[in-house]
Amino acid sequence: MATRRFLRALCRHAAAGADLVSLRRHFGAVTSIRSRSIIRPAIEQEKSLRHRDLWLLSSRRFCSVKTPEDDDMEDEYEEGEGGGDVDEVSDGEMAAGSRPHKREYTPEEKEAEASEIGYKVIGPLERSDRVFKAYEPVFAVVQIGSHQFKLSNRDCIFTERLKFCEVNDKVILNKVLLLGSPAQTIVGRPIVPEASVHAVVEEHALDAKVIIFKKKRRKNYRRTKGHRQELTKLRITDIRGIEKPEIPITKEKPVKVALKQEKVAEAA
Amino acid sequence: MALRGVWQLQKLVVSYCNWGGSSRGIRAFMETKLPAFQEKNPQLEIVPELIRGQHPHLKAFCKNKNQRVVCVKNMTPDDILLHSTRLRNALGRKVVKLKTRHVTKHPTVQGTWSTDLKF
Repeated sequence: MATRRFLRALCRHAAAGADLVSLRRHFGAVTSIRSRSIIRPAIEQEKSLRHRDLWLLSSRRFCSVKTPEDDDMEDEYEEGEGGGDVDEVSDGEMAAGSRPHKREYTPEEKEAEASEIGYKVIGPLERSDRVFKAYEPVFAVVQIGSHQFKLSNRDCIFTERLKFCEVNDKVILNKVLLLGSPAQTIVGRPIVPEASVHAVVEEHALDAKVIIFKKKRRKNYRRTKGHRQELTKLRITDIRGIEKPEIPITKEKPVKVALKQEKVAEAA
Repeated sequence: MALRGVWQLQKLVVSYCNWGGSSRGIRAFMETKLPAFQEKNPQLEIVPELIRGQHPHLKAFCKNKNQRVVCVKNMTPDDILLHSTRLRNALGRKVVKLKTRHVTKHPTVQGTWSTDLKF
């Protein structure tokens, strides 16, 4: 609140035509980054400030548009000074407008939080790990975002684009609702704690184009829009949290070998 | 784009014109962003190709012998980077509408349910 009042007062003084010296006298030696970024462009473009921009800087907003305080202040400065040093917002806004969601999740905690919403955790990249195992007769019901899947080892899944993982990343799906094997079933309420499903991101791709066609007959209204959904393909590698049966693999091989030997004997 | 850990995009041919205005973006991309992209993907073979008098495009050659051509005329370097990242991220498969979102070879673990089944 104090900073907001300070900034507004600063603007009013700058708009009224005060130079740097008088500004400094009023507000003392302010060393915060924010005020520095405001004072410098104010000095440079003091003379070029048009009347309309001065009004924008100094006037109160009477419109009912509710924006967060920070964005409000930064927008005002952009308009008035024609390119002041606003750190995050300018690049995203000035760009083509086709990528409005260019927020930078700089702290890794934020990434982790956002990925928790989608019930996935990013593991390290894969380097010579033997992750792709043989099929195990175990399944899990997992939720990713709002979609639920019944997964088994070596399955492939197409989900909505997972934002914070790249191709060849290991991903852990936390929200396991049910685990099952031929001998045992574990039902979660609603989640099975300490159960996880490991997967590898195989690709980030666009789905085939869907044409959205709107028409109102006899009203001269026709609209055509193309849409390609961004998908992520995950390959499931491991299901943890349930005892896996170990029997079937060892039994199959001797049976097959015996059959082959018999066939060879018959042929000969 | 990695099938079981193997990158699927083998070669990316960056075709541009050194005179035309539609190649301005791709020329800037080649100066600024292409070296970083090449370092991030050492497994990828990036070949710049000069085609005078034609619009610029990116050609992707995949391990399954599929080719994909993306025209990048009049695009900004950011957009071209996005397209090349998309080509690198995708498998070389044909873009068809998905039948199912879950592809599996073993649909059942505990056996298929039927009305006669008794627990």
